[in-house]
Amino acid sequence: MRRTVSITLIILTALLLQSTIFGEIRLVGARPELIYLVTILLAMMEGPSEGAIVGFAGGMAQDFLLNQPKGMTALTLTLLGYVIGTLRQYIVTPSPWLPVILAGIGTFAGVVFYGSIAFLLGQLDTGWGYLLKVALLSGAYNALLTPVVYPLLKRVSQASSARRVFRW
Amino acid sequence: MALKPRARNARLLMVCLVIACLVVITVDFRQGDKGPLEGIGRATLSVITPFQEAMSKITRPVGNFFSALVSLPSLKKENDELRERNAFLESQLSAAADLQAKVTELEKDLELADRIGGGEPTGAFVISNGVSNFEWSITIDKGSDDGVQVGDAVVVSAGLVGRVVRVTGGSADVQLITDPDSGVAGRIGDTKETGVVLGQGERDMKMEGIDAAVPTSQLNGKIVKSVGYRIGDQSNVYPPGIPIGTVSRVLDSAGALSKYVTIAPVVDFSALDVVLVVRSGTPG
Repeated sequence: MRRTVSITLIILTALLLQSTIFGEIRLVGARPELIYLVTILLAMMEGPSEGAIVGFAGGMAQDFLLNQPKGMTALTLTLLGYVIGTLRQYIVTPSPWLPVILAGIGTFAGVVFYGSIAFLLGQLDTGWGYLLKVALLSGAYNALLTPVVYPLLKRVSQASSARRVFRW
Repeated sequence: MALKPRARNARLLMVCLVIACLVVITVDFRQGDKGPLEGIGRATLSVITPFQEAMSKITRPVGNFFSALVSLPSLKKENDELRERNAFLESQLSAAADLQAKVTELEKDLELADRIGGGEPTGAFVISNGVSNFEWSITIDKGSDDGVQVGDAVVVSAGLVGRVVRVTGGSADVQLITDPDSGVAGRIGDTKETGVVLGQGERDMKMEGIDAAVPTSQLNGKIVKSVGYRIGDQSNVYPPGIPIGTVSRVLDSAGALSKYVTIAPVVDFSALDVVLVVRSGTPG
């Protein structure tokens, strides 16, 4: 219960930030993809199930805010969360750079995947060059934001986990 | 390799969620703008709008600070240019004052204000800049409660901003004229050349099908204004005489019968704060 509430709050906060402040702070014309970042980082911490659920919920939330065919972001992020969560289990040597690298590559792959679905549905009206540029830039942007967002999410995630241990 | 029960559960869950997504995509795609999902979308929008409004009040100064930081080098150059221009313009001002009086008179005669839409314009605050990297839109804090309807034109004093594409009670989504889905019928300067100004996202807008016989010098740097009628299969009619942008480049391909121009918007879309909605009809 506690967990559901905190994940809902994380997703809502990310969406609000994405549509207000990060609409203005752009990196060479591209916005970060905060929902992608949240999905990737939570999937890394919690595994494939949680990743898929967070991706699904966050993607749906973002889709219903956009005037576009609904479910596209949700599909992308469900798969992204699952894949990142699964990948993480096979990486044995945890490096402090791991979240940054996964956030960058994961976002890039996610945006390209999203663009491909949009293309298949006849909704991609910007062209592939622009898609690749945005994917690269938002990947880089997300990687840059990771050192700030990762510790925050980690704290929230630990504070709301069921096995909570009090230490003084 | 046998999967552990945990891994199997995760895979099952993922498959179920993917199927759910595919169902939603299909349902939404088939039902278009009238389906139940669109209703949920509008409901979500009206729930989140107040939060966005509060958030944008807090974050706007922060955002402005960062965008100013990014554009600092170009600002200095711009400053120098503006000084030069200022001196030049001051000398012209006295002559212009005389002309201005004439223009005001003529405008009154033409009842220009009357021709901009049938209804009264209403001011609105921009509360959100859109979420996606693939859409150029803003959200404003006026909706159907204030008589705003889908298709209404949105302007600022500098020029045309876009049109309303979705309304809820207290907010509305505005598609900017730079969005690739947007098309505005416009005319270049005082030439006879009209065409649809198409949005191209971050790049300058584009107008095709200009007579190759028109010399480039007559097009370059000219202001493009909206015309009050429909061209081709364009979906929306905008009020006439509103500046859209200035011609930034004229491109002609050798041997072709027509050339096309790119148009830099006159409105700075990243710095929108207050806009004017031209209400086309009565609420309801």
